[in-house]
Amino acid sequence: MTKGVEPTIRGKTAIVGIGQSKKVGRVPGVSPLALAVEAANAALAESGMQKSEIDAVISTQAMSTSFHRFSVAFSEYWGIVPTYSNNVQVSGATGAATLNEAAAIINAGYAKNVLVVIGDSLLTGMTPDMALRSMTESRDQQYEMPFGIPVANTFAMTAHRHMKEYGTTREHFAHVAVTQRAHAMRTPGAQMTSEITIEDVLNSKVVTTPYHKLDCAVISDGGAAFIVTSADRAKDCPKKPIYILGAGECFTHEHIFLMPEITTTGGVTSSRNAYKMAGVTPSDIDVAGIYDCFTGTVVMMVEDLGFCKKGEGGPFIADGNITYGGAIPSNTHGGLLSYAHIGNGGSYFHAHEVVRQLRGECGDRQVEGAELGLYHALGAGFACAGTTVLGTEATL
Amino acid sequence: MSNSAIDPFAKPLPSPDPDSLPLWEGFRQGKLFLQHCKDCGGIQYYHQASCRNCQSENLEEREASGRGKIHSFSVVHRAPGPAFKNDTPYAVVLVELEEGPRMISSMIDTNPDDLDFELDVAFTTEKINEEISLPRFRLA
Repeated sequence: MTKGVEPTIRGKTAIVGIGQSKKVGRVPGVSPLALAVEAANAALAESGMQKSEIDAVISTQAMSTSFHRFSVAFSEYWGIVPTYSNNVQVSGATGAATLNEAAAIINAGYAKNVLVVIGDSLLTGMTPDMALRSMTESRDQQYEMPFGIPVANTFAMTAHRHMKEYGTTREHFAHVAVTQRAHAMRTPGAQMTSEITIEDVLNSKVVTTPYHKLDCAVISDGGAAFIVTSADRAKDCPKKPIYILGAGECFTHEHIFLMPEITTTGGVTSSRNAYKMAGVTPSDIDVAGIYDCFTGTVVMMVEDLGFCKKGEGGPFIADGNITYGGAIPSNTHGGLLSYAHIGNGGSYFHAHEVVRQLRGECGDRQVEGAELGLYHALGAGFACAGTTVLGTEATL
Repeated sequence: MSNSAIDPFAKPLPSPDPDSLPLWEGFRQGKLFLQHCKDCGGIQYYHQASCRNCQSENLEEREASGRGKIHSFSVVHRAPGPAFKNDTPYAVVLVELEEGPRMISSMIDTNPDDLDFELDVAFTTEKINEEISLPRFRLA
């Protein structure tokens, strides 16, 4: 099912600035636009650019605001007049899709310096039920929602079937939560930093079977931003440029009942296309940021992204392969499960971590010698998948 | 018709569209209709103006047997909003119909603890109001 992709944008653009709001997690009293501005200012400072040089803004829907055009509202608030603006809505896959789009429009000559930005207040800007409802209402109102199917339930059904087909266990899932919590404990600013055990995950309150509370992402406030520019310009920026080497996306269905096989996702196609464009294979990747709305999602993704065989994701993770010393250290910041989850832009923090790893800025979280990184984002019950391959100058 | 955007305690109900009116009329009569493509032979749930496989508009509506198996399921304990809070725990099921298509539904008259993969289930409907009956399944 993999479709050929010409290597059109390999190494032609780079991330030269990343930034987060001053605080991520529980941030009451700061509006989503203010959080986005904090992140944009931090990213801009890293890039060494002037605000007036940003000629494109790409964003997504901020769930705790009523703006229909967050990218446009942001530009007004930040005081710029961009000549390109877009609001991308492919749920959790938005993170990779927007970085890929930034690379594409620069390569097309449509923009020079792109700001990718979001701010949202899922934790304190809306009640828990409102937050849940905002995810719930992303499901179809005729054929899904009348049956009380939260988006969590669509992911849960895929994980449940994975258990049936491959013998994956709740203990396997729990290893994801425990591993990523250990990562978050080393990450400044992470939302969840108390140690947890396999038993803690197994015994936490059931949400929607087979998932319990500690199998699920947290809910957070925060802002995130990137500055993407051409490879030529990147050479003049103060930070080590992190190049976009490959991009791939895939959208397999809208309704969960039309997902071709519920244990295999569009991540197979999106990642293969991204690898092909980058000219790399999964075994070349040094560090990964993998969307982790639920623990089982990571189990399925290490398979679909090609790090292990289909069905072996559970034992692969239980054997320590997604942490230091393993095959593919992943989500070294803690992920959506323990660092933060701010909605459609939640996985921007995964991309930030991959960038920092490739820059060599991670201190005691550093994956030694990391040169090639993978960022995979997904959403809407695996309807949407987006992959970005990132690398240092040495990988060009 | 309720509007969940206004009343969070009202369960979301479908608003049939030009494609789906015959399907929802079928549910109102207690019947599950599938579309059979007379050109490529494809069978689809839910109703569209054209075949998802070959885009033919030469579609025939046939009543399904109502027999299916549970392909997957998840028992909801944390409700998606106030409207479903009193129903928990309830099972959402992904049913594979005998004819091939899958659909999302929920179980009636079934203890969630009794569910398992590949269990035989039978289609039924539950009348919500004069306009809408929802498709449901029970253990066969």
